[in-house]
Amino acid sequence: MATKKVCISGVEDGLRLESRILEEIIQKNVREGARKLEIDALGQHGIGGRLWISKDEPIEIDVLGSPGQRLGSKGFPGTTINVHGSVSDDVGWLNAGAEIIVHGDGTNGACNAMAQGKVVISGNLGARGMTMTKTNPRFDPPELWVLGTVGDYFAEFMAGGTAVVCGYKGQNTENVLGYRPCVGMVGGRIFVRGPHDGFSQSDAILEPINDADWAWLTENLKINLAKINKSYLYEKLIDRTDWELIRAKTPFEKTGKVRLSMTEFRAKVWDEELGRGGLIGDLTDLDRSPIGLVPSGILRRYVPVWENSKYEAPCQSSCPSGIPVQERWQLVRDGLVDEAVDLALAYTPFPATVCGYLCPNLCMDGCTRGLKKMIPVDITKLGRAGVNSKAPKLPALSGKKVAVIGGGPAGISIAWQIRMKGHEAVVYDMAKTLGGKIASAIPSSRIPKEVLDAELKRAAEVIPHVHLHKKMDSDDFAELKQANDAVVLAIGAQKPRMIPIPGHEMITPALTFLQNSVAGKAKVGKKVVIIGAGNVGCDVATECGRLGAKSITLIDIQEPASFGKERKEAEEAGAKFKWPCFTQEVTKKGVLLKSGELLEADTVILSIGDTPDVEFLPEGIALDRGHVVVNENYQTTDPKVYAIGDTVRPGLLTHAIGHGRKAAEVIDDIFTGRRPEVHPKEVIDYSRMTLEYFDPRLTEFSDMNQCATECSSCGSCRDCGLCETVCPQMAITRNSLEGKKFEMYCDPDKCIGCGFCANVCPCGIWNLVDNTPLG
Amino acid sequence: MLSDRPITPSTLGVKDLPWQIKWDKDLCTQCGRCTSVCPVSAIELGVFRKRTIVTPAGLRKKPSNEHSIFYGIRQKTDPAYGCIGCSMCNMVCPNNAIQPNRDEGSTTMKFHNDRGGQPRTRGGRRNSEESLLDQIKFMRISMLTDPALDAGRHEFSLNTLIGRIQSPEESLKCMAENGWKPPVREIYPLIIGGMSFGALSPNMWEGLQMGVAYLNEELGMPVRISTGEGGCPPRLLRSKFLKYVILQIASGYFGWDEIIHAIPEMKVDPCAIEIKYGQGAKPGDGGLLMWHKVNKLIAAIRGVPRGISLPSPPTHQTQYSIEESVAKMIQSMSMAWGFRVPVYPKISASSTSLAVLNNLTRNPYAAGLAIDGEDGGTGAAYNVSMNHMGHPIASNLRDCYNALVTTGQQNELPLIAGGGIGKSGNLAANAAALIMLGASAVQVGKYVMQAGAGCLGSEKDRCNVCNIGICPKGITSQDPRLYRRLDPEKVAERVVDFYLSFDTEIKKIIAPLGRSSSLPIGMSDALGISDRDAAERLGIKYVV
Repeated sequence: MATKKVCISGVEDGLRLESRILEEIIQKNVREGARKLEIDALGQHGIGGRLWISKDEPIEIDVLGSPGQRLGSKGFPGTTINVHGSVSDDVGWLNAGAEIIVHGDGTNGACNAMAQGKVVISGNLGARGMTMTKTNPRFDPPELWVLGTVGDYFAEFMAGGTAVVCGYKGQNTENVLGYRPCVGMVGGRIFVRGPHDGFSQSDAILEPINDADWAWLTENLKINLAKINKSYLYEKLIDRTDWELIRAKTPFEKTGKVRLSMTEFRAKVWDEELGRGGLIGDLTDLDRSPIGLVPSGILRRYVPVWENSKYEAPCQSSCPSGIPVQERWQLVRDGLVDEAVDLALAYTPFPATVCGYLCPNLCMDGCTRGLKKMIPVDITKLGRAGVNSKAPKLPALSGKKVAVIGGGPAGISIAWQIRMKGHEAVVYDMAKTLGGKIASAIPSSRIPKEVLDAELKRAAEVIPHVHLHKKMDSDDFAELKQANDAVVLAIGAQKPRMIPIPGHEMITPALTFLQNSVAGKAKVGKKVVIIGAGNVGCDVATECGRLGAKSITLIDIQEPASFGKERKEAEEAGAKFKWPCFTQEVTKKGVLLKSGELLEADTVILSIGDTPDVEFLPEGIALDRGHVVVNENYQTTDPKVYAIGDTVRPGLLTHAIGHGRKAAEVIDDIFTGRRPEVHPKEVIDYSRMTLEYFDPRLTEFSDMNQCATECSSCGSCRDCGLCETVCPQMAITRNSLEGKKFEMYCDPDKCIGCGFCANVCPCGIWNLVDNTPLG
Repeated sequence: MLSDRPITPSTLGVKDLPWQIKWDKDLCTQCGRCTSVCPVSAIELGVFRKRTIVTPAGLRKKPSNEHSIFYGIRQKTDPAYGCIGCSMCNMVCPNNAIQPNRDEGSTTMKFHNDRGGQPRTRGGRRNSEESLLDQIKFMRISMLTDPALDAGRHEFSLNTLIGRIQSPEESLKCMAENGWKPPVREIYPLIIGGMSFGALSPNMWEGLQMGVAYLNEELGMPVRISTGEGGCPPRLLRSKFLKYVILQIASGYFGWDEIIHAIPEMKVDPCAIEIKYGQGAKPGDGGLLMWHKVNKLIAAIRGVPRGISLPSPPTHQTQYSIEESVAKMIQSMSMAWGFRVPVYPKISASSTSLAVLNNLTRNPYAAGLAIDGEDGGTGAAYNVSMNHMGHPIASNLRDCYNALVTTGQQNELPLIAGGGIGKSGNLAANAAALIMLGASAVQVGKYVMQAGAGCLGSEKDRCNVCNIGICPKGITSQDPRLYRRLDPEKVAERVVDFYLSFDTEIKKIIAPLGRSSSLPIGMSDALGISDRDAAERLGIKYVV
């Protein structure tokens, strides 16, 4: 084992040796057996590092002069370096086991990244001592001993080992640890004696020095003081109360700065300063506490409303007679077929005649099903069944009397309604029996005679009829007015309109023709021209066909307004439609048009409408182009006199019937001292109904029950239970009310306003509305 | 809509809508939560009829039709109920069965959102995802050249100054000669820009104020918030928190009589007064708070009766010229607090910004200039104003800063930049870029709503219904049913979170520059961009 001592000078021939050369010399000497080296340094870098022979052959180095930076860097275990003065920066840099004793001061960066070994400083340290140090579990942790004080940023990112700062006569006795120590420290500990300005609280923590620590500290203090030849200070330094122990926080202890939670802040700082309720507690008492996204009750955004019977069904609304069609189908669904059939009598005296045969059934045109091109619910089935309905029981008479002039559909309708309301209504008519045009001018092809007769008979049972034998004159009228509480003009339009053209005397008015036809007296030639191609014209054409005409031409000045059954039947009878045609004159050859064209004809029939025969009316009753003027209550300019049906304006049978019913209501209102009010219900929006439930491939209804099933019951709840079933919140329940009545109830505490009920309802009853605004 | 009705030019199908609802029949439990929560009622329970043709094999029997009914979520196609993509349906769906998808190819609706001749109005910001600020890189990284700082280890002073900053000599001279010197505030450089009480819900507004108070009181960060134009709650005016508040006055002057009444009772002065002349989102346009939104609370704070419309005209009615306006308004507002409070105007970035700035430099009472760029957000504006009006902030700010440099006043008159900062989430990077281009501070609004309250709005035209009071998050609604979805405390917590995060990120950017003791205002040598024209225009490095 080599033990010789070698002296190496950092100067050769008066010149400073390069660090590389000095290092080579040191390594060479050690390899050649030197175990004690004395180096007279002159600023050389890294002296004393990487010296290794074996575990059993320690190497001692004494450094004289002034060593350069990183003395003892990468030092090995077994190397002991005594520096007999101060060292430059980074002493013990990356030290892996060397013991470095500095008898003077250290400068910046001491022990940076030191992993093992020990550095003892007899004086003070500069900045950034003991930074980035490590502890490797395979070896003892590194140690730094400083008798004096340390500079700024001590122990930054320290990750292991022990630093001991004795604070003895240091550079800054006010603060022995310097500015901002321990930032980023994650491991190791620091014993410190003397005052300091604190350390990074987020990284390190003070810990009481336990007996074992104290024993370690005092024992090693004694040893290390001896190494710097200052054992005499030992007693001065071992007052346990002078010492503190700082250690790195564990990851679990690094909770960050403790600060108030926002809830605490709100209570203790925010509301404390601003007052109860915070920022706007003085301005509102609204609850502003947090809620979820899908609340119920008052916090729902939408509320479903069960709008049963709020709106009128399109069928009822389209029916000029105002028959509640959907209500009748509901009765059918309920198994009350007779009630469904009879219900019509409250609205019309002619359920079978009109609804079943003669009406173009505007209710069916309005049927919601049509929107999806599904066939409308067939009312004629229900209508025709009405032929057997018995006249309802009549109420007692009030003593009020109404004279109805005219026994056609309008007159019968109003007399029927007035009698139902308990007033007396007497019909005055030139005809022997009631019926007017219905009986005299409707071709038998359109309605079986027995049906019409049955219904007229039923009406006659209810309505007293005065058969006038002469045309009414103004005196008769004045008398009637005098004798009655109200007079209704239901005289129809009996006076054919004529056109003042040459040859007009050869023209047959349509009404005359039709009346003759019904009476079996009509005759036609082979070639017929009908001027006016409306529905009456079509009826004429059909009759002409039946009576043997070979060529039937309907002409009009514009596109014909005819439609429906009448049009269809006329076309089936071979009628041709021609427009625009302006008639020049009628000759024996036929109709000469202004264009010069001649339409050959044996028979020319004029069907451009009729006007009422109002010669008997006093001057006080205003007319407009031949028709009687009325207000919305069917009152003429004489408030005691009403006018309905074709007297007012040309219309369908159902219009005349509807006029009669509505005017009767007005008259009843006035008789009973009520102000007549016109409050037609709003018709339901088509988009509210759901038609997907119904069979789209149906081309014909087999019976009334099928009609009823396929009816969407627009606007009136059909009690299907879908809403109850679909509601995801079980918020909807069915409550039975008195009798057969019921309601669907939505529990606000359960309902979230999803709108499902409104979406699924076939009848469009549920409506989703905005909840009442808050705040 | 019934399928067999005649179509109109504006009849749309789902495919025509920008946001299309994707719904999974198998996953849906039909719980009704999605239709309950949808802010625009874009979805409903659909009743569907399914046809099955039953054909027996071998045709042994006559084939038949069977119809059955099923239910599912259906999207409405009426533009009035167009899905806005907010995805609240998805948020409440227990089974993740529904969500809106954006279809970039479906642009039809764009041509039909002017029903009744009313052009589209909306909230949000310019519907463009481009961001010049995002392209700017910080490329002066000091490793060995300057003291390389560590964002986690070193101490930083990030604060900035608002107010007329005089040199020590000037300041002494000013004091000696006038007995007064301009007020200056040391504040955090990220300011919450003006969003009014009214534009924001009470819970949102309180949450923001609470968060700001917390940052100041608990964390020592001198963060400031502008009130926007809509007054200021009386309690806040009379509290110690007022010093964190920048009171804004704009052309509607709402709530200012209440502020004036409160002056004698104020415990502290406000941080500053911001005179709003313009807004980046809708330059040259004003605002109108519709009468139905003026409820009891808004009315009380704005000092108006309930139920009347509140117009903020495009211009101040007593503004006749820059000279007039600047001199008169700044003087008046300064005088209100005895010249102790900095007063600065806020304008929308425009080619006339320099003229305003030049004027301010000559006004000793002017405490700064806030400039709001084209990417700024708003609660309500015409779509055309938002998308096509205004000036990008970067070059406008840069021009102003350079003008100050020319006269040597760059350290004297602070510029506050705003408009699109953090629009794609890069708050610190965008803010740092503007600071290095010359801003003393930046203002953010939309980002605050997004980060602080979960605003769903995006530049893909998502949500953006702030203007109609149906904000699904309760941020911009005055309806308690909506704004109670927002907990002020949680908003405050988020404000604190994003401020702390910003603080770290901004340090991560400026530490490598070697700056720790002051903000790198105007340190444009640190900036680079891969767009040569932009580099030239901004006077920063072109790097590829």
